[in-house]
Amino acid sequence: MANASSIFGRRSKSSCFQYLLLAVLCVQSGCQQQEDDRQVVTLWHQMVPRGRVVLDRLIAKFEAENPEYHIRALYKETEELRSGFQAAALAGVGPELIYGPSDVLGAYHTMGIVQDMNAWAPSLNPEDFTEGALTFLPSHDDSGQRVLLQIPDRFGNHLALVYNRNFISSPPTTTDELIALGIQNTLDEDQDGRFERYGLVWNFVEPFFAIPFLTGHGAWVFDDSGEPVPALDAPECAAAYDFILSLRDKHGIVPRNCDYETADSLFKSGKAAMIINGDWSWADYLETKGIDAAVAPLPVVSATGKPMAPMVSPKGYSLNAFATPESAAVAMKFVLFMTSEGAQRELMHELKILPSRKSLHMDPFLTSDPTLLASKQQLANGRMMPVDTELRAVWDAMRPHYQSLLGGNASAQEAAAAMQRDSIRSIELMNRKSTGDSAAWIWQLLGILICGTLVVWQRKSLANFIPDIRRQPFAYLLVAPALATIFLTIAFPFFYNVMLSLSDMSLTNFQDWKIIGLANYLEVFSENKFFTILLKTLIWTVVNVFFHVAIGVMLAMAINGPIRGKTIYRILLIIPWAVPAYITALTWRSMFHFDYGAVNLLASSWPISLLTTSSWFVALLGSPPYNWLGDPNLMFTACIVANVWLGYPFMMVIALGGLQGIPQELYEAARIDGANRFQQFRNVTLPLLKPVLVPAVTLGAIWTFNNLNVVWLVSNGGEPADETHILVSFVYKAVFNLYRYGYGAALSMVIFVMLLVASLISLQRSRATENVYG
Amino acid sequence: MDKPAESRWISLLRHAVLLLFAIISIYPVITVMSISLRPGNQLQSTDLSIIPENWSFASYSQLIYEEPFLRWLGNSLLVATLVTFTGVVMASFGGYALSRFKFVGRQTTMLAILTTQMFPATMLLLPLYILIAKLHLVNTFLGLMIFYVSTALPFCIWQMKGFYDTIPISLEEAARIDGCSQMSAFTLVILPLAVPGLVITALFSFMTAWSEYIVAAQVLQESDLFTLPLGIKNFQASMSTQWGLYAAASILVSLPVVVVFLVLSKYLVSGMTLGAVKE
Repeated sequence: MANASSIFGRRSKSSCFQYLLLAVLCVQSGCQQQEDDRQVVTLWHQMVPRGRVVLDRLIAKFEAENPEYHIRALYKETEELRSGFQAAALAGVGPELIYGPSDVLGAYHTMGIVQDMNAWAPSLNPEDFTEGALTFLPSHDDSGQRVLLQIPDRFGNHLALVYNRNFISSPPTTTDELIALGIQNTLDEDQDGRFERYGLVWNFVEPFFAIPFLTGHGAWVFDDSGEPVPALDAPECAAAYDFILSLRDKHGIVPRNCDYETADSLFKSGKAAMIINGDWSWADYLETKGIDAAVAPLPVVSATGKPMAPMVSPKGYSLNAFATPESAAVAMKFVLFMTSEGAQRELMHELKILPSRKSLHMDPFLTSDPTLLASKQQLANGRMMPVDTELRAVWDAMRPHYQSLLGGNASAQEAAAAMQRDSIRSIELMNRKSTGDSAAWIWQLLGILICGTLVVWQRKSLANFIPDIRRQPFAYLLVAPALATIFLTIAFPFFYNVMLSLSDMSLTNFQDWKIIGLANYLEVFSENKFFTILLKTLIWTVVNVFFHVAIGVMLAMAINGPIRGKTIYRILLIIPWAVPAYITALTWRSMFHFDYGAVNLLASSWPISLLTTSSWFVALLGSPPYNWLGDPNLMFTACIVANVWLGYPFMMVIALGGLQGIPQELYEAARIDGANRFQQFRNVTLPLLKPVLVPAVTLGAIWTFNNLNVVWLVSNGGEPADETHILVSFVYKAVFNLYRYGYGAALSMVIFVMLLVASLISLQRSRATENVYG
Repeated sequence: MDKPAESRWISLLRHAVLLLFAIISIYPVITVMSISLRPGNQLQSTDLSIIPENWSFASYSQLIYEEPFLRWLGNSLLVATLVTFTGVVMASFGGYALSRFKFVGRQTTMLAILTTQMFPATMLLLPLYILIAKLHLVNTFLGLMIFYVSTALPFCIWQMKGFYDTIPISLEEAARIDGCSQMSAFTLVILPLAVPGLVITALFSFMTAWSEYIVAAQVLQESDLFTLPLGIKNFQASMSTQWGLYAAASILVSLPVVVVFLVLSKYLVSGMTLGAVKE
């Protein structure tokens, strides 16, 4: 006893309080805003690292010229900026300015979260900007006026061909030349089936990169009507897809698995002669040592005589609809500064991107720089990226079928037809106006009724409540602070979601949503994929938790004995928990790569090959090498492997803690009774580990069920063909790709109720709320 | 209390299992390390060498000398220690109440605590923004702490309750008979026996605060106040991530966790309760 209490002895207690005091003071100072009476304008941007350096420099210049203002620039990743801005703007805490590509403006405008910049920029002359660079959209108030929603500092964001001059002296001008050069540069000198160099690489899995192939074959995402009507099943589309496939399957000049990072690595390490990539990447390639990169326009498609035309779009600043007039005025002053000729010249010099102002297109720097010239040439035959919200539905519909086409699971015609069908459905879902309009009072009444029933049902407990507090105030005192903190933060979001799940909140009803009833729930259960994904989620949860616990307990038992090197083992085994999952998940993804991943290399090396080539193993997984990233089942397995790896250290720590609580006497007694090791484990260890493991297992199962990150990162957002989903990643897609907030909330409620019921049942069975000794 | 010496086979088996999993545990992290040493910002490598060609510590020195890494580290340490402290105190009290007192609504409370973990975080973005704005918590560490403590508490309370459950009630009864108050029976007798639980609670609270990202991105709008995960996310961009810095930062971020674990884990393997319970 004495030994134990000294750990919490008086000495350490007093130092704890001193420390706490110190820390509280630190927090106080952290909370204090800088004594600063400058007017602050916040900007969320998504500039690449190089761009941020120039941005910081320009901001410093602006602040030097205008000492009364302070620009607070925050970087956000593209998708995060979008979803974050939508939520923050609605909550009234959004930044005054956002910077990004123009394709999201249609959605922002429909939601009403960006405002017309015309009034703030009377001196701005649209004639000074390249055609299409300023983004105008029709105003909401039927006046026929067009509102200015974005002022760009650059125009392009387009793909072109980058080639390595060490291998290619002059770039191809037609696709026939491209194929010929590609064949020349695809080498497997040692004939081991692994290529030393590929002719051409690009981000194979992303439809944005397929657009130049479509345009080169005479196709486009929308039809000619001028309205955003998808035209994805035109015969020209199928021809384009067949052409893409022929590059890989017939001519063999592109690798089998090639996402953005693979393509990038291959080109940078001189293992690819050509790459198709966007203007954001070129400056990096030009500086990479060991290769001699140059940019050229994409070639003309030999079969059609049409140039491969990439999508082009401006990138620039937009103004939050909820910015106060004072801050909007300052913000716009900054925008005009950032899009001025001087600022754009600096951007062009540093980033090799094309300016949005016409005057700069005559700049001697531009006309003498080969990269910028090639870029300008490519821009000239580019096609404007539509700002319509429907484009998002088009990407969303294209991605899975494009990927299953690449996986060999659909023909070009089938894929094209499926893309068209899904895009029309997605657009319909996205733009749907609410139909049901049951009055809110019905739902309020129902809510009151439910609460009333609960009160009547639990009336005995409630009646005992006050006397019970009097009887044992100590118990309530101990538990109250924790409960207050938990429910302070969770109660509001929870009820807000209950409301949303009954509402029609979506792209078209973003701010003026109303309660419509159970329509969203009906939709959840009528979704074909729901039960398949649910089944997958269950498998995912059970398999993961099983291995977490089994491996965790095994390691804890192994380390909890008389053994040398305990400390070293302990540190090494905790590492998967210690290193942030957002990078290790990506590492796992690259370990599963077909050609370069460690897993495949390991599987075909001795002695593991003895196992993997054994007949039952082949029957289970097929023979190595495995196409982990291209096959839905293998991809799902890969996600599980990665997540098991991430989770066992946690269970090991829990089990290790639990093992300390087991008195040695019990083992002694068991041994005296003649119990062998297994019997000791079954009859002593397990029952006494149970109270400690039950919370970890219950919560572990809940967390795994709702674990978005690992599936999302390892499968790169549901690849291949959008098949690798568990319920939460499906919610995420519905909400953030198609703006179906009401539907997402309803699906979340369904998840919540399922978990609640499952936990109730399992707790009832394990009697975890009861005391083991009691 | 000597254990009988283990046979050589058992000991060998222990080493074999531990060694195998130690290798599995570190291999992917070695890959991360390899990315951090690789020049030219590549996530993937086309060969399997652990130490890349032309390797350098450039990413690490850039991180420490050119990026505000140390400032982020300081912020994170501050937030994480405070969350750990608050979490441990609240959970050790709350868990005790739930383990030892049969008060009205105890079962409901336990279940309610659990339910807070069941809602998918994806949908919480919007209401959280509203909540943070309404409570004026933007740009405060206090805001972060409230959210982190409440995220970590449900597990911690349940965990502590589980640990108290394994401690026989007879111990407190004995202490009460010896004249201890309710509070001192708890702090002097029970708490020391629950040290492994406290360690797990501390580690878990620390990790929650240390690696959390989504709430931090909503609360902190000033780069001087960034915590490490937010800072690290700066290096990530769709199609132009600075992999070298991203990997180097991830490695450095995990070092304090390892240190914390190393310090705390001696209470996880020291056999504290040896001989405490003679019934």
